[in-house]
Amino acid sequence: MIGATVMLALFPMIGVPRVWLLYLFLFFIYLALANMWNLLAGYSGLISLCPAAFIGLAGYTMAILTWVGWPYYIGIILGGIVAAFFAALISVPVFRMKGIYFAIGTLVVPEILRYVFTLWAPVGKPVYGGGAGYMVKGVSEVSQAQIYWLAWAVGVASIFLMRYILRSKIGSGLAAIRDNDITAASAGVNVFKLKLYSFVISAFVTGLAGAIFYSLQGYIEPVSAFSVRWLIIIMLATVIGGEGTEEGPIMGTIIAVFLYFLLARYAEISLIIQGIILVAIMLLAPQGIMGFIRETRIYRSLVQ
Amino acid sequence: MSLLVDLATPIAMGILLGGLYSIIALGLSLVFGVVKEINIAHGDFVILGSYFGYVAMTVIGIDPILSLIIGIPLFFGIGFAIQKYLLNRAFRISMDATLIIAFGISIILQNTYQLVWTALSRGLTTSYALESFSVGPIHVPLVYLLDLIVAIVVMFFLREFLRRTYLGMAIRAAAQDWKAAQLMGISTNRVYAVTFGIGTALAAIAGVFLGLTFPFTPVSGMPFLIIALGVVVLGGLGSIAGTLVAGMAFGLAQTLGGYFFGVTAQMLVAYMMVLVVLTVIPRGIFR
Repeated sequence: MIGATVMLALFPMIGVPRVWLLYLFLFFIYLALANMWNLLAGYSGLISLCPAAFIGLAGYTMAILTWVGWPYYIGIILGGIVAAFFAALISVPVFRMKGIYFAIGTLVVPEILRYVFTLWAPVGKPVYGGGAGYMVKGVSEVSQAQIYWLAWAVGVASIFLMRYILRSKIGSGLAAIRDNDITAASAGVNVFKLKLYSFVISAFVTGLAGAIFYSLQGYIEPVSAFSVRWLIIIMLATVIGGEGTEEGPIMGTIIAVFLYFLLARYAEISLIIQGIILVAIMLLAPQGIMGFIRETRIYRSLVQ
Repeated sequence: MSLLVDLATPIAMGILLGGLYSIIALGLSLVFGVVKEINIAHGDFVILGSYFGYVAMTVIGIDPILSLIIGIPLFFGIGFAIQKYLLNRAFRISMDATLIIAFGISIILQNTYQLVWTALSRGLTTSYALESFSVGPIHVPLVYLLDLIVAIVVMFFLREFLRRTYLGMAIRAAAQDWKAAQLMGISTNRVYAVTFGIGTALAAIAGVFLGLTFPFTPVSGMPFLIIALGVVVLGGLGSIAGTLVAGMAFGLAQTLGGYFFGVTAQMLVAYMMVLVVLTVIPRGIFR
């Protein structure tokens, strides 16, 4: 496992084809995003519909900072921090809503941000029209390998972060809340605080991954940055692998990246296929691949 | 004084537009209140209604409002089947499952519209859709008035249906306490399917009037879904009058937002209002 991860990190140095690197780059980014969405939906009972808000916000922070002369990697970190602060800020309205209301509240957020960034050009002149599309400055001379390593780092880190969180006090608190929030609260678990922690942590890592994505892309504009397509790919990766399982997002992301490139040839019907997959998995195997594997006899015999 | 005269038209338009928003919200509110699921795809069903009217008008050549005679039962059937075969099974799994399935349906619908009708902006440009009328300083398109009238008519019929028919009472019973309803011999699965069917049929009506009022594209569902969610929350679940008042509040937010901050910002004002509503009165005003 660790050997394979180190191998993946060495890929840019041993002359692996660029297309492969791009696939792997996307794999690491989506892996981090799926892990963080799983932390919310699978473990914290928060169906967040706003990962695009954190991705776009962090991407914009990074891009805008390169315009005022900051290096992009500082922009990436600050992007994550801005996303985390923003999560803390919107937690005030959205955490007042329980369950399904939380989903509604988070659905609105990326839409608002898209309008804000369409109307508002923070620095420089808008590239065209009134909208605020920005080139990421100072990245063209940076080697793509550096950004690949950043993606690798955030992807791998997200796995260890999940392991750490789920085995920490936060994790056991979240498990207690998931089983029964009233019992958990009366046993002294601070429900609000734990949910807020996982929301902010998730926003931070989601923001990092988003900003790294836009460093490679080299260009950001509001329509795609705050697009619902982010949510689709994240949901797909998590649901295919198994929501609420630790290994699920890893397996799901592998399949989602394959799917992404398979479906590129059928772009006009790709959303139909993705939608059908979502519906079918939720109905036939709601625990995804991991749930399926866990039911098999081989897995059980291995665990016991 | 001149400000008041200038404001008269946006205020009147906002109130009338509230009619359209409350029809869109009505189906969502009914499903939310009875089945306890948020139909994320509701906006896309509304747009399906708009395209249905568009096909009726351009291909068959009948008036889009008249086409609802076929549209309402057709949409009821679609909604009934979706709840019966997909969502009824899903919500035994978890709340997440229904949300994710509805999300899946939403992207399937959007992509289908794109395939069939392309991404171009369409509109139901009937002869009366372009007419407007004036009362004193107020100039309002005729369809806006139609939106409000239809909203009131639809709400009246829905209220009478829920109050007076056996099925309506079964729906209300299932909304209040599905276990008790089941013990009384009501098949809740059937009631849910019927409710979702009515919700989708309401989407067909909403879609046709939306198409008469605004141009629409395959992805227009999302903004209207968000506004409808705001209306549902502000109006309170299960309150038909509340839905109308809340619809007007959102109509006013949009037209006045457009008046004061420019047309591009009008949706932003409405969206911000959704967040404010969720923050301040997450359980609605009419409760």
